[in-house]
Amino acid sequence: MRIAPPRRAAGLAAAIAALACLGPLAAPMNPLEQDLMRVMEPPGARHWLGTDHVGRDVLSRVLAGAPYSLGLALLSVGMSASTGTLLGLVAANSGAAGRAVVMRLADLVLAFPGLLLALLLSGLFGGGVLPMLAGLHLAMWPQYARMADATATSTLREGHVEAARLAGFPEWIILLRHVLPRVLRTLAPLAILGTGQAIMSIAALGFLGLGLRPPTPEWGAMISDLLPFLAEGVVQVAAPCAAIFATVLALSLAGRSLAGSSMPPRVR
Amino acid sequence: MTDALAVEGLRIRDAGGNALVDDISFAIRRGGALTLIGETGSGKSLVALAMLGLLPSGMKATGTITLAGERPLDAADGRGLKALWRRHLMLVPQEPAAALDPIMRVRRQLALAGLLGAKIDVAMRAVDLEEEDGGKFGFELSGGMAQRVLVATALGTGAPVVVADEPTKCLDPERVGQVIGLLRRLLLDGRSLFVITHDRRLAQSLPGQLAILHGGRIVEHGRAEDVIAAPRSAFGRAWMASDPAAWPSCARSCDRSRLALSAHGLSFAWPGRPPLFRELDLHLPRGGILGIDGPSGCGKTTLGDVLLGLRRPSAGSVEWAGEDIVGRPDAIRPMRRRYQKLHQEPAAAFIPGVPLRRQFEALRLVVPGFDALRALPELLDRLKLRHALVDRRPEELSGGEAQRMSLARVLALDPRVIIADEPTSRLDPVVQRETMALLREQVEARGISVVLVSHDASLLRAIADETISLARAPGVPA
Amino acid sequence: MLRALAHRLGQAVATAIALATLCFAAIHALPGNLALQVAAARFGDERVTQEAADRVRRQEGLDAPLALQYGRWMAGIARGELGRSLVSGRPVAEELAHHARFTIQLGAAGWLLSYVLALPLGLVAGFRPGGWLDRAAGGLAVALASLPSFLVGIGLVTVFALGLRILPPAGFRTGAHMVLPALTLALSLAAFSIPVVRDAVVEARAAFFLTYARMKGLGAAAAFLHHGARNAAIPVVTFAALQFTLVIDGFVVIETLFNYPGLGDLLVKSLVARDVPVIMGAGLLVGLAFALVNLAADLLCLWLDPRRRREAEP
Repeated sequence: MRIAPPRRAAGLAAAIAALACLGPLAAPMNPLEQDLMRVMEPPGARHWLGTDHVGRDVLSRVLAGAPYSLGLALLSVGMSASTGTLLGLVAANSGAAGRAVVMRLADLVLAFPGLLLALLLSGLFGGGVLPMLAGLHLAMWPQYARMADATATSTLREGHVEAARLAGFPEWIILLRHVLPRVLRTLAPLAILGTGQAIMSIAALGFLGLGLRPPTPEWGAMISDLLPFLAEGVVQVAAPCAAIFATVLALSLAGRSLAGSSMPPRVR
Repeated sequence: MTDALAVEGLRIRDAGGNALVDDISFAIRRGGALTLIGETGSGKSLVALAMLGLLPSGMKATGTITLAGERPLDAADGRGLKALWRRHLMLVPQEPAAALDPIMRVRRQLALAGLLGAKIDVAMRAVDLEEEDGGKFGFELSGGMAQRVLVATALGTGAPVVVADEPTKCLDPERVGQVIGLLRRLLLDGRSLFVITHDRRLAQSLPGQLAILHGGRIVEHGRAEDVIAAPRSAFGRAWMASDPAAWPSCARSCDRSRLALSAHGLSFAWPGRPPLFRELDLHLPRGGILGIDGPSGCGKTTLGDVLLGLRRPSAGSVEWAGEDIVGRPDAIRPMRRRYQKLHQEPAAAFIPGVPLRRQFEALRLVVPGFDALRALPELLDRLKLRHALVDRRPEELSGGEAQRMSLARVLALDPRVIIADEPTSRLDPVVQRETMALLREQVEARGISVVLVSHDASLLRAIADETISLARAPGVPA
Repeated sequence: MLRALAHRLGQAVATAIALATLCFAAIHALPGNLALQVAAARFGDERVTQEAADRVRRQEGLDAPLALQYGRWMAGIARGELGRSLVSGRPVAEELAHHARFTIQLGAAGWLLSYVLALPLGLVAGFRPGGWLDRAAGGLAVALASLPSFLVGIGLVTVFALGLRILPPAGFRTGAHMVLPALTLALSLAAFSIPVVRDAVVEARAAFFLTYARMKGLGAAAAFLHHGARNAAIPVVTFAALQFTLVIDGFVVIETLFNYPGLGDLLVKSLVARDVPVIMGAGLLVGLAFALVNLAADLLCLWLDPRRRREAEP
């Protein structure tokens, strides 16, 4: 592995962020414009992926949906990873009491199945970007906190930390130069895989009608809308499905190659 | 009388075709023993693996291996060699704990080796295992106990030739006696032994033949007592000379009136446990070398940590240049970098994965006016390190190089006292001697005081002015 | 060992209490006037008046101080009284029990089916690591893990219900209706269990004590049976128990997709309809089930692996 995991993760994140931002710009037509004269048209020269049940261009909607599905996922993972790292480092650095507080809090959240938590929060507050973001963030930070704490605690026991303390380096420099790089390296594969899972969660919530609502072109919501028309327009349904699959697969492969095993890292 | 084991022209090549080990030939007669010594990485274990047909894929072996009563086998004939298992050949592997099923009880594992009821008890008694040990799970055994189970298995299964691969590797260094006892038990039972080791004391205590492996070849071979008394090869001589008992003692002057480090009435106990040491008094003059001796688990490292201000003692005082530092971080701070430690693990003091140069440059933060660009070359020269090494990462250095690099780091901090915690125990004997010599040289040149912690009494006798012995703590398993 | 049990039981109870409190807090922290919402649900959005809302407030005890309401809520839970559904009027506990039955059936079927798929595949892949089957199984697992369960479901529906027309796509009348949902769940779970089985087998076979067992004279099959299988079983069983939690995660989406009348379906419909009592009850039930399953999984691991037993002892 020539390129360090955190740098690879950052590179991947940048690529996804770019896709998320450029997606809507690449859309050939207005994703919200309805044309009731051209409902459920098959793919053709004008509409490469056909039109949906109210005549909107499917290709444009898929591209315009990128910021929601990808961007939100990236944002939620970024927030969770940051919160988790911070709390994990705090836990590792404080005494037994401080650590217990953070870990109990994490356990409490983890006591609830992830998607369900995001689902309940999102649903109770009526869907939309902020509740969903809050729900995902809340559901995801504990795994990062746990991993950060475990990595930090074991690193703090190593010889080079003792040597640095003996030399007289202040504690904050030790955290920064000795501990943080190791924590980031361990968290990077988790974050990449987590982004994939976040994309799936956002899509699931959209599908259930509890996430982003139409006419927002979120992929999961699109699938839910078009499902009754599956028989007439397979392509229209398949397009957002393929978008989800492609992005999550790319992230899964990237995350696993970083982690170096055939199984995703499990924190439990 | 045919030989129990004869190896002819064994050569092991790696995937690239390079010969790792070449032209190995020896024979062990019935009831005899041969000890093969060499440094880490010299390929000794490969010889054992080849004999058992267990070479890692990619490596190729050629040559002949003959066991009494069997036709000669080609070293490349993996299947044929594996067929010799149990009936002709048995292994006592390097890491005893790894050879036992962690979640199965010992008795059952012995039973699965084909030992029936009474024979299990006989075998266990022969290696000093208690009956209750039979009920323990694999993961509950210490390295030493696991090894005893393995020897019991060897005794019970009756193979005439037993190969012991680095039997002291995973044990506490002072357990050599136990290993010698176990191996003698096998000889007593009429087996032939092939022992591979880098431990000097083991090699010197076993009967039979002694062969030295260096550079992939056997450079010396003969009766053990002959080789030990008068080695003929250059490497053989260097190896025998690495015995501290053979080091010339040197007289040194040290200023007894000025104490760099001292302690009075020092006691330490882990909560709820009996004390590791009590009412300890200690005086280290400027430029002196104090030895601390004792078996593992007796608290030597902890004592070092207390003297360095890393741990608070239960009672007593520690004085740095006359000032008591126990529980006084403000007293420690101005003198912090003058009291340093040399770790047992050679590369432990460095951050893995970060180039060494950067780590040295970071010292600028704690040593005012330290300029790595100017100071490093001179430091490296004094410790006989190639300048190019400093651009590498710590894990890329050999054990000896890493330990000298650690010493360079400590010296860059301009210390008054160095607590050296078993600094050479992880190194090969020849490298040990070189490293110790360098340490002594540097320390004398700058008037640094050293507390040398070691289990090796003869090493301490050769180097330290004075030695304190810590007894074994009660409750530590034998 | 008994202390570990008591400790974990205590944890489960503490979690349950915390969950109930969280549900309560969440409901009362929602935007909007709770009494108004309940009244609107009951009488219809257009016909709700302020006096109707006030009546609801008095009836439901929403005018009492928060602490009192909390006390009543907790007491109600202890008695098994969770209020009444705003949509159907039936007791929440009854609704939950009715729907939970379907979910339990689906969950059990899906979980079992996933192991019927994963065990043989993982075993064979583990016996020849790096072989074509291993790589194919690995690829399949990664692909399945990259598909949210509803996509797997849609795919299966397209193939079996619409394409081949041999299975019903939705609802629940006959046993056949459970096949596709269970298969969807099974595939989603298998995405993770196939690599677990495979890795466990590979690791067990590579362990040195297996080689040493051969050296002691055991044949290949006997060595794997006595030493390999037992050691490999531990991570597999551990994971299998934990996978129940994944079941809980996935059933909501699958039930909605297939219109399968289980707890997940109920939950989603209640969320959309703002049927607060049912939402709280369902959320609480799921949380409790999750905690209990985790507890059971933990205890199973303790029983299987003597190493964990030692760790558990203080």
